[in-house]
Amino acid sequence: MNDYAKPLPQIDPRQAPFWQGLRERQILLPTCSDCAKARFPATRFCGHCWSEAMQWVPVAGGATLQAYATFHKAYWAGFAADVPYQVIQVRLDAGVSLFSNGVGPWPPQVPLGARLKPYFDDVTPSVTLLKFSLDEAQP
Amino acid sequence: MPTPLPQAAVVGVGTTRYGVLSAYDAYDLGQWALKQALDEAGLAPADIDGLILSRVPDYQRFAELGRLDPHYTLTTPGHGRFAGICIQTAVAVLQAGLARTVAVVYGNNGRSAGDRYGGDTDSYGSGGAGMWFPYGMTSPGAFHALMFQRHQARYGTRVEQLAHIPMAFRYHASLNPAAVMRQTFDLDGYLAARYICEPLRLLDYCLINDGGVALILTLADRAADLPQKPVYIDAMAQRAQFSDSSFPPDDFWHGAMASAAQATFAQTDLRREDMDALMVYDNFSPTVLFSLEGFGYCQAGEGGAFIEGGRLRLDGDLPTNTSGGHLSESYMQGWALNVEAVRQIRGQCEQRQVAGAQHVHYMAAAPVITSLIYSGQRRTS
Repeated sequence: MNDYAKPLPQIDPRQAPFWQGLRERQILLPTCSDCAKARFPATRFCGHCWSEAMQWVPVAGGATLQAYATFHKAYWAGFAADVPYQVIQVRLDAGVSLFSNGVGPWPPQVPLGARLKPYFDDVTPSVTLLKFSLDEAQP
Repeated sequence: MPTPLPQAAVVGVGTTRYGVLSAYDAYDLGQWALKQALDEAGLAPADIDGLILSRVPDYQRFAELGRLDPHYTLTTPGHGRFAGICIQTAVAVLQAGLARTVAVVYGNNGRSAGDRYGGDTDSYGSGGAGMWFPYGMTSPGAFHALMFQRHQARYGTRVEQLAHIPMAFRYHASLNPAAVMRQTFDLDGYLAARYICEPLRLLDYCLINDGGVALILTLADRAADLPQKPVYIDAMAQRAQFSDSSFPPDDFWHGAMASAAQATFAQTDLRREDMDALMVYDNFSPTVLFSLEGFGYCQAGEGGAFIEGGRLRLDGDLPTNTSGGHLSESYMQGWALNVEAVRQIRGQCEQRQVAGAQHVHYMAAAPVITSLIYSGQRRTS
């Protein structure tokens, strides 16, 4: 499995629980122990109440589609075979935004606001990316 | 009534050639532009006692090269939003009495240095861009493509409407000998351009080039003694929207722009309808659309219909980016647009001159919003 040519996440100790969670099919979000707001990525202080107390809390991963754009230019050789490929902007129900990719049946023009569910993509033995598929159960 | 602050004016501007200038580094380009600005202002380097830099790597080196020993020095990152910030800071430094003659200088050798705005070196959006590389997300262009896609979905804006922005600016560039891209195109030509990040095409992207820009400002009383017709800073404001700014804003920055516009127009008797031209930061075509809406030149969501029919052209109601802007003159990150505002008010724009231009509004939409109204008329109060 050394043939994965796309950029991989730089996993530093502060973010490691998130990536470990994905490998275990769990979305763990850094969450303020005082005001209970989730944030991403992990930061020392909560941006809302500036508390330093934080814990990793699992969330279900339901999300809505905010926007999408289709790359026709490959900025990395590893994406050259994929162009045109789509990047999606999603908002998790827990309140944090992410960029990601849609997987599975994905019509060219998914309406914004569409409900999404997480898809755990094991791109290498040690790295799982958080992607999303359409949640048909929740139109 | 509090005593109004003394008014500041631009008394000299300078621009290098734009394009591939590989024999010049960023210091050289800044010095070239400043030399030109000093010459036309009738000033010597020793007259500069305030120095504000952007994109020039090191203030000490720049000042040493030109033997400048100012009373006030500041350097800022080479982000386009800093054009407005630096000019506003120059005004504040003058008003505070920290300096009498402030040079604001920009030097950009990004073309020759091989700067890229996507891929491994991308740090757009709070510097956290690398987090999204595994998903193929990169570049400010993609960020704006996402914003425009959402604008389309929310308001029904069409790419055939968006096309009027690059078409108008290219037409202006065809009248500007200094512009890098001067070949005009029509809607078919626009639609034939390749996508970079859909819905945006190559012609929606700014042009990375080498170049330098400088402006010299002083207070209005002193400006009256200098050779150039002074162009006064009539009003200015700045707002930031940094919260959640790693992602495209839900409101296209409309809220922050409306607040900046309100603060700007509260300082002046001028109204939007008094503006003879607009200079709108155009890193990508949609930014112009968002700005016209956010600054109240049209309603939110109506930008597409507003720009149809050539309103932004020199021969339209609201001539915008008469130099060709970043899309066609050169991506001088807002700096050259401010110079164009000055030259329009001085009446120096030749083929692309807006007849009798007296008032020009510069606006830039980004996580920092800046707004500056330039006027050929000094305030009387």
